[in-house]
Order: sequence, then C-alpha cells, then structure tokens
Amino acid sequence: MSTDNPPRFIHYLGAFAAGGLITLMLLTNGTLAQYGTLLFSSWVPHLTGTVLAILILLTLRPTRAASKRPPLWAYLGGVSGGLTVVATSAAMNSALALSGTIALGLAGQIVFSLFADAKGLFEMAQRMPGWRDFAGLALITAGALILIFYGSAP
Amino acid sequence: MSLFIILAIGAGLLVGLSRQLNGRLALSTNAWESSFWNHIVGLAFVSLIALLASSLFDDGLFGGAPLDAPWWAFLGGPIGVLFIAAGSWAINRIGAAQTAMLIIAGQMISGVAIDIAMGVQGQLWARALGVALILGGMWVTRTAKAKG
Repeated sequence: MSTDNPPRFIHYLGAFAAGGLITLMLLTNGTLAQYGTLLFSSWVPHLTGTVLAILILLTLRPTRAASKRPPLWAYLGGVSGGLTVVATSAAMNSALALSGTIALGLAGQIVFSLFADAKGLFEMAQRMPGWRDFAGLALITAGALILIFYGSAP
Repeated sequence: MSLFIILAIGAGLLVGLSRQLNGRLALSTNAWESSFWNHIVGLAFVSLIALLASSLFDDGLFGGAPLDAPWWAFLGGPIGVLFIAAGSWAINRIGAAQTAMLIIAGQMISGVAIDIAMGVQGQLWARALGVALILGGMWVTRTAKAKG
C-alpha cells in the first residue's frame, strides 16, 4: 500500500462511492433508532461491523504497510466516531433539527479537513489547498445546502 | 441554542478527526485493519456509554422494541466497515479536504437518488440545482489535480 502514488480517478470514485454508503447507513441506522434507543442504533452496527471486519482480516490477511508500529493514539478513531453519535443525536433533537445539524456538521467537517491538510495533521502528508480546492468546496457546499434545506418538501 | 450549534459543528469536527486518525492508522497498517480497530474501539466506547446511561435512565441500551425492526436495518455495520476502509484508503491518496468533499458529494447525490426512488416529494428545481452545483464542484477540483 504505497502512499506516493499520484491521485487517480479510482481514488476520487472510491471516496464518492463511500459517500453513497453514508446514505445507506442513515437509512439502516435511522430505522433501527425508530424501533430501539439511539445508543442501540450505534451499538449494533459497531458490533456487526466488528464481526465482519474480523472475517475480512482472516480471509484477506492483508499485510501491514510499515514494520514500525503505529502510535497508540492512532487507534482512537472509534472513540471519536462514538462521540459523533452522541453529539449528533443531541443537536438533532434541538431546534436545529436534522437539516440544521447536517449543514453545521458539513461545515465542521470541511474546516477540519482543510486544517488537517494544511498542517499535515497526525504525521500525514501535508497538502496546501489551492484556489481550485476552495472553489470546488464552495460549489459543493452551496449544492449541499440547497439540497438540505430545499431538496425535500416539508 | 448556541450549545446545540457547537454540538452540531463539533460532530462534524469529530467526523474529520475520526477519518484523520483512521487514515493515520492505515498508513502504518492497512485500510481493513484500520476499519477493524475503528469498530472494535467504537464498540467498547459505545458499550461504556450505554453502561453509564443505563444507570441514569431506565431503558438503557435495549429499550423500545429493537427486534421488531426490519432485518435490513441491521446491515449498517457491514456497510460501515466498507465505509471506514474506503475513507482510510482515500485520505492517504487525495488528502483530507478532497476526501471530505467527495464523500459529501456522494452522500448528497445518492440521497437525492434514494429520495426519488422512494417517492419522497421534493422540489425539482432545488434537486436539479443542488446536484448541478455539486457536480460542478467535483469537476473544478478534479481538473486541479489532473494538472498537477
């Protein structure tokens, strides 16, 4: 798994397709939350996901990219993910509603990603965003906001 | 109200933080292992919160009638494994900002597609304009990388 490769179309397609997976997860986990508690709707996918991930690791047996062990803090992505559920559900049940929560969440995500790239945060590659990145972000954000606030009739 | 605004923005920051951490883990290991650790650490964390919450509230983790949910509602986990692996893979190749914007683009456009497929009423002009702006944004960024 080399990281020196220049970006290729497949990388963009992969990230775009991953976005489609979020829509499916909103559907599955959102439906679970209608029948059970919010915590349950986060706990179940973590449990079934862990089982599947173990099966994948046992089947594919992917090798590690580096012989040097990763720092311990790099294992904490799941904690951040779990906290996301708590923060989102709290905000969603306020006057912000779902659309406001999603819109503000997108803003937070974009600001964080620009900061992370500019700093090369957590020992990752540093990339200074150019004006085309900002133009692309502006267009995607505008489109997302229109879809969030005007996309579906109330 | 301002507390909830901070929470909503904070949720977005946490999504970015999680992807950055998982991406860093994949840099030393691989995308599948990164997804595995994300899920098992997240499982431990959510279980801990559930334990704490059940001492505060009566219905804790298993309140309601979760087993009445349709079978497909339990498939979020396997989808999530693929999602985390894809994010960890992409972020080390196209960076955090482009990964975030493409995931957002994919989420928004697939959301419109699902809404239409499920017959959710919506304003046509907003859907068309929103999707057009997002595709335009993807095109602008994509041409940036093609040159350099």
